Amino acid sequence: MKPREPVDDDARPASGVEQSDLELVRRAQRAERGAFDLLVLRYQHKVVKLVARLLRDPAEAEDVAQEAFIKAYRALGSFRGDSAFYTWLYRIAVNTARNSIASRQRRPLAYEAELSESEQSAVASRMSHTDTPEANLLSEEIRTTVNRAIEELPEDLRTAIILREVEGLSYEEIAAAMDCPVGTVRSRIFRAREAIDRNLKPLLD
Amino acid sequence: MTDQIREQVSALLDGELPQGEIGLLVRRMERDPELRRAFGSYSLIGELLRAPGGHTARPSFASRVSEAIAAPEQQPAAGVAKVPERAFWKRPGFATAIAASAALAAIVLVRPDAQHRNAIVASQTAAEALGALPLAGATSPTPAQSQRLASYLVAHSQFSSALGRHNVWSGLLADDPGLTRVSFDMSDAP
Repeated sequence: MKPREPVDDDARPASGVEQSDLELVRRAQRAERGAFDLLVLRYQHKVVKLVARLLRDPAEAEDVAQEAFIKAYRALGSFRGDSAFYTWLYRIAVNTARNSIASRQRRPLAYEAELSESEQSAVASRMSHTDTPEANLLSEEIRTTVNRAIEELPEDLRTAIILREVEGLSYEEIAAAMDCPVGTVRSRIFRAREAIDRNLKPLLD
Repeated sequence: MTDQIREQVSALLDGELPQGEIGLLVRRMERDPELRRAFGSYSLIGELLRAPGGHTARPSFASRVSEAIAAPEQQPAAGVAKVPERAFWKRPGFATAIAASAALAAIVLVRPDAQHRNAIVASQTAAEALGALPLAGATSPTPAQSQRLASYLVAHSQFSSALGRHNVWSGLLADDPGLTRVSFDMSDAP
C-alpha cells in the first residue's frame, strides 16, 4: 500500500504549524540544535508510524526513522521552504524506508546462529523495546489512558482539543466555532493537554 | 509562571505562538528537559487522537536521535564492504607519467654539458633512469619506448615556435646546439 503523500499546494496559505516549523528550521539552520530537537519531538510519532507501515517490521521502524531524521538534519541546509517541512521530511522517510527494504531484500537470511554476539544483542535490544508483548501492552495502555482522560475532560476542554487535534482547526477557527476569545481557546487546549499528560506521565517515565 | 510557559509550549506545538516569542522559548526548552518532555507528550496525545492505531515512538526516541546527531560521523555499518582504494602507483596512467617525467628530467640534467653530448646520450640516460625505477603494471614503457619518447621531445623542440620556446622545455632543448643532430623516426612508433 502506497502511503498518501501530504498535500503540498503552493496556492494554499501556510498553516500556523508550517510557519512555526519554518521558524524552527531557520533556527536549526543557524546551528540552534534545540530547534531541530523540537522538530523531532513534533514529528517522531508520525514518522515512526509511517515507516512501520512501510516496512511492516516494527522492530526496524525506529532505527529507520532515526536514520531519516539524521539525514534530514544533515540535509537541512538545502531546505529552502518551498514545501512544508513535513512534506520534505516525509519524502526523506519514505526514501530511507525504501532503501532499507531494498537492502533487506539483497541481504541473505541471517539465522541467529550466524549472528555475532553484538548483532544478537542489538536484535534482542530492539525486540525488547518495540515488539514484545510488554511493549504492545504499554502502547495499548497509553491509548486507553488517553481515551479515558479525554472522556473525563470537561465539555469545553474536550471540544477545544478535539477541534484542534482531530479537525485541525486553527485557534481562530475554534474561537469562532465555540464563540469565545482566541486566548480562551489557547488556555482550554493547554488545560486539556495538561490533564491528559498528568495521566500519561507515569506510563512514559 | 510555569503554567504560562507550558501554555506557550502548547501554543508552539499548534503553530499559534507569536513569532517574537519563539526564540526565547526554544532557548528555554533547550535547557529544560521537563518542557521538552511536555512538548513530546502533547505531540503524542495529538497523534493518538488523530490516528489511534499503529506504532508510536518510544519515549527515548528523540533523545537518541539527538545523541546520534551530536556523535561524530560513524564508521560504515558492519557488513557494508568498503571498496579498497587503489594505491596511487597502481592507478592507470601513473607508469606513463613517470616515464615521461624521467625522460624530461634526464634531458634537462644532461643540458649543462650538452656541448659534448647528443640527444642519443640523453635518451640512453632516460632509458637507464627508467630501468632503475620500480614501475608497476603491464603498461610500463620499455627502454626502447622511452628512448623514442625522449627523441620525440627533442625533435619537437626543433620545430616549436619561438613563442612556445619561451615557456616549454622544448624551448630549452631547441636552444641547445648539442641536440640539433637528432632525427625522429615515426616509422616504428606503436
